[in-house]
Amino acid sequence: MEEDATVRNHLKRSTWSVLLAVVGVAAIAAAIAANAAAKAKARAAASTITLLSGPGPQSLDPGLDYTTQGSEINWEVYTGLTTYKHANGMASTELQPGLATALPKISANGKTYTVTLRKGLKYSNGAPVKASDFLYTVERSLSIPWGGSATFMTPYVVGAQAYATHKAKTISGIQANNRTGKIVIHLTQAYGPFANVLAFPAFGLVDPKTAPKPFKVQASNPPAGAGPYMVTNISIGKSFNIVPNPNWHGLPGIPKATVPFTEQINANVNANALSVLKNSNQVFDWADTIPPADLAAAKATGHYKLVNLGGSVYYFFLNASRPPFNNELARQAVVAGLNQSGFSRLGSGTLAPGCFFLPPGIPGHGTGPCPIAKNPATGDLALAKKLLKQSGQANTPITVYGEERSPRLQWEQAYVQELQQIGFKHVQLKEVADANYFTTIGESKKVNPQTGFADWNEDFPNPIDFYGVLLNGKAIQATNNENFGQTNDPYLNKQIAKLGVVPTTKLNTVAGQWRALERYVAKHAYAAVFGYQSFPFFTSKNVTVKFTNDIYGWDLLGIQAH
Amino acid sequence: MARFVTRRLLTMLLMLFAISVVTFVLFIVALPGGNPAAMIAGRLANQAEIHLISVRYGFDKPIYIQYVNTMANIFDGSAFSYQQGFNVLSQLGGDAPATLSLAIGAGILWLLSSIALGTLAAIRSGKYTDRVLTVLSMVGVSLPPFLLGSVLIQYVGYKASLIPLGGYVSITHPLQWLWHMLAPWFTLSVLFIGFYSRVLRGSILDAMGEDYVRTARAKGLSERKVLVKHVLRMSLLPIISLWGLDIAQVIGGGAILTETVFDLHGIGWQAAQSIGNFDTVTLLTIVMITALSVVVIGALIDILYAVLDPRIRLT
Repeated sequence: MEEDATVRNHLKRSTWSVLLAVVGVAAIAAAIAANAAAKAKARAAASTITLLSGPGPQSLDPGLDYTTQGSEINWEVYTGLTTYKHANGMASTELQPGLATALPKISANGKTYTVTLRKGLKYSNGAPVKASDFLYTVERSLSIPWGGSATFMTPYVVGAQAYATHKAKTISGIQANNRTGKIVIHLTQAYGPFANVLAFPAFGLVDPKTAPKPFKVQASNPPAGAGPYMVTNISIGKSFNIVPNPNWHGLPGIPKATVPFTEQINANVNANALSVLKNSNQVFDWADTIPPADLAAAKATGHYKLVNLGGSVYYFFLNASRPPFNNELARQAVVAGLNQSGFSRLGSGTLAPGCFFLPPGIPGHGTGPCPIAKNPATGDLALAKKLLKQSGQANTPITVYGEERSPRLQWEQAYVQELQQIGFKHVQLKEVADANYFTTIGESKKVNPQTGFADWNEDFPNPIDFYGVLLNGKAIQATNNENFGQTNDPYLNKQIAKLGVVPTTKLNTVAGQWRALERYVAKHAYAAVFGYQSFPFFTSKNVTVKFTNDIYGWDLLGIQAH
Repeated sequence: MARFVTRRLLTMLLMLFAISVVTFVLFIVALPGGNPAAMIAGRLANQAEIHLISVRYGFDKPIYIQYVNTMANIFDGSAFSYQQGFNVLSQLGGDAPATLSLAIGAGILWLLSSIALGTLAAIRSGKYTDRVLTVLSMVGVSLPPFLLGSVLIQYVGYKASLIPLGGYVSITHPLQWLWHMLAPWFTLSVLFIGFYSRVLRGSILDAMGEDYVRTARAKGLSERKVLVKHVLRMSLLPIISLWGLDIAQVIGGGAILTETVFDLHGIGWQAAQSIGNFDTVTLLTIVMITALSVVVIGALIDILYAVLDPRIRLT
């Protein structure tokens, strides 16, 4: 025992020495760090605006990317033949000529689009822009392929399907004359929003020399484009710079850019929000959700606003091809019972209630009282119970499909509770990983889900973007189906075919017919809409946002530092 | 020694093969949701596009050919992410500095702190100090890095402005690098310090009763020498073994939570992104790197054991 005590005394001394050494090192480190912090603050005074984004773009190569995070950058890096106005609110969804001299001239049958390329245009690398580059760009996007190719391009352009499936060496339906700058596009059928399709960043012209064949994704060195901005210093998944394109001298309605940006991709959106609150960084990405804990502080800055971009709808699809929702009364019961204000609360108050399928920013959005529950914000539980009883479907087992991420999971759980509350006796939730949720529920034959979560954000402000894909019986596919409700109503199909050919610029002539169709869909309860999403636009105090874009969110030309 | 190295190398190759097969089956063959081509093509693709992608990436070939091709691509450095189109190895090469910075800094911190606290707890065994250290160890082990990290960011970073709110700065800016690494080092270390110090405490207490310690004292060695040369030398063996394996895991992307909370764009962060995106090739490569680093460091530890413990012979 005595020996042990002596050992312990010696051990104690040596241990305390080690501890003191560790504390000493830590103290030195802290001192150095404080010094570094002071220098960092001084450097932060630079004029570059930093944009923080949770998930980054899928790719900065426009030939691949089909994400909001990519589009909000690429639409000002790869200007298309057409583009959108740099203005606020609904005006920002209006088409204007981009690299073309004017909006496309459309033939009487709606199947031929003619545009002329502006003269003297240059890519960001200084190379001249040629009319034939448009054909090259479209071929590249179909080859990689870009995520929207099969929906917006291959079915409509003559020869595009043959090219995409390697049965043809070029797209026969696109002719370009480099001498005159004239580009003629032949369609297989009239497609109203085709002028909008030309504005997709995926079809914004690229310099062929910087995107050689065989086509492949150029993740770290995307091709040179023609637009106010260019992207440099890409560190994939981490950060990149968006700087003014020195070869862009401004076009009517598309001014020269002056403000440089850096985008940092940080998955911790809470830290991103705090960073903007501290004015360490300037812009919080609108597509991310400000954590509820930071919301009050963000609002108090005066640089936060919740904007309904007007182009997104959130709904539960109701599969009309199988029980219980092949029964219209059962579908109406679900719609009647939805307490939409509850769903909005679960989504940090970002959902505006509604019963019509088109979101408010889309021409033709339904108006007037809702056909089933008069007040969608609260729902009508008594009516829902009554309708379900009449349908005789209460005993049909239901599997609700849903995504895993918040707040979607909470919405799905609330939906399950609501189904139980109105009287369905056997309801279960099946969660699917976010990354393959839509491809899973899109398996019409293998899965063919009864009901579940779905959403859609506008690609362009035309009702056909919603109805043509999500409610059109002719769009039902065996795999990658988007008409999850298997809606195949002959009247609806006929109206979609008829109204879908009207060009976006003439939508006002058929807006009344779309509104009538909205009431028809709401009455038949083909989908249980539970809100239109608003998004947080939040910046630091040293940034002014003059205008945003209702399709792409940020308009970099509208953000200024001061 | 030569026999030992040869045997370890063969075992290593066998283990890597087994891990690669299991991982391949888990991530590619048994992929939830089924068709990888459909996932890559995206939600709006048609059948023709899905088929073309399937042919382009070889998903139409027999499984064993897919396995061989995938592994060949990973080991020759040509593997690329189907989802984002980047070269996986060069992407992970870019992620490595953040992970190495985290692993080395935190590894040193938790090793030194564990030795100090474990030794203190051993010599104060049963006393108040020991009890306090026991409670602190339990708290450390039970504290998940995402919670500790978030608390540090909120209170020490945002409210007190003493640390940055995350991010990694290259070591070419040493002061900024240090400033950004302090909180991640601390967060990751807390977890290990609690565990290691308890293991070391027990190990020291065991060693103190051994005959060779009694003999050393009988020879008239000072207590410091007894502690450092005899007690600690033997007691550190399990700690070094653990440390090596844990460091290997962190280097291979094991610090997913710490890297994600602090937005250190390292291999762990990349692993988290890959899981979210179902980026199977990137994930498979990360798993192989982790396995390789654990197996290699495991072998190095065996050699180090022999150096520290004269009773061990490498045959």
